[in-house]
Amino acid sequence: MAQSEQTGIIGKGITIRGNLTGGGDLVIEGRVEGQISLKNHLTIERSGHVEAEIRAEELTINGEASGNIDATSMVSITSSAKVAGDIKAPRVVIEDGAVFNGTIEMDVKLPDNI
Amino acid sequence: MANTVIGSSIVIDGEISGDEDLVIQGTVKGKISLKESLFVDSSGVVEADIETQNVEVSGKVTGNINASDKVELKSDCRVIGDIKAPRILIADGASFKGNVDMDVKER
Repeated sequence: MAQSEQTGIIGKGITIRGNLTGGGDLVIEGRVEGQISLKNHLTIERSGHVEAEIRAEELTINGEASGNIDATSMVSITSSAKVAGDIKAPRVVIEDGAVFNGTIEMDVKLPDNI
Repeated sequence: MANTVIGSSIVIDGEISGDEDLVIQGTVKGKISLKESLFVDSSGVVEADIETQNVEVSGKVTGNINASDKVELKSDCRVIGDIKAPRILIADGASFKGNVDMDVKER
């Protein structure tokens, strides 16, 4: 992946309340409450705890997330993740062991003859 | 890689709190309260009241700074606001407008 833009890291000891917007990639190991809107890749690490409306291109969740997720490319929920909320993305991956509560909308194009 | 970096393309509007070092290369508006050190890099823009132990500013800060230990204004920084800290360093080339309170106590 091109590292054209600076990656941000929210460390374990940090809590953010409010709006977070940006163009680069972001890794959350701490706590974020509010809204996140990111142009690139968001990773929520195992220690990360996010209570927010999330908009991003790509999202990888290894930790805890609650709130609605809107991704333009892909959402992957790994085995250590706990997620609650509605997901809207063209591609959604949920691994074995992950906990997920909510609806998923993959925005599938239905064939015309249905 | 324990410390937190708010990258240059990140904008945060709200409150940041925590107990580890924070590096700001992007934009933060609102409030910052930390138990450790805050570094505002040259690309960083902060419009917030800051409460921490140490602050090192190379970028732009608008807001009041309250540090329990030290505030360091590097050359090329721009700071507007009041500073309250027991130790304050201002480097040659720094621009600063505001009040300085070193809170000198009888020791």
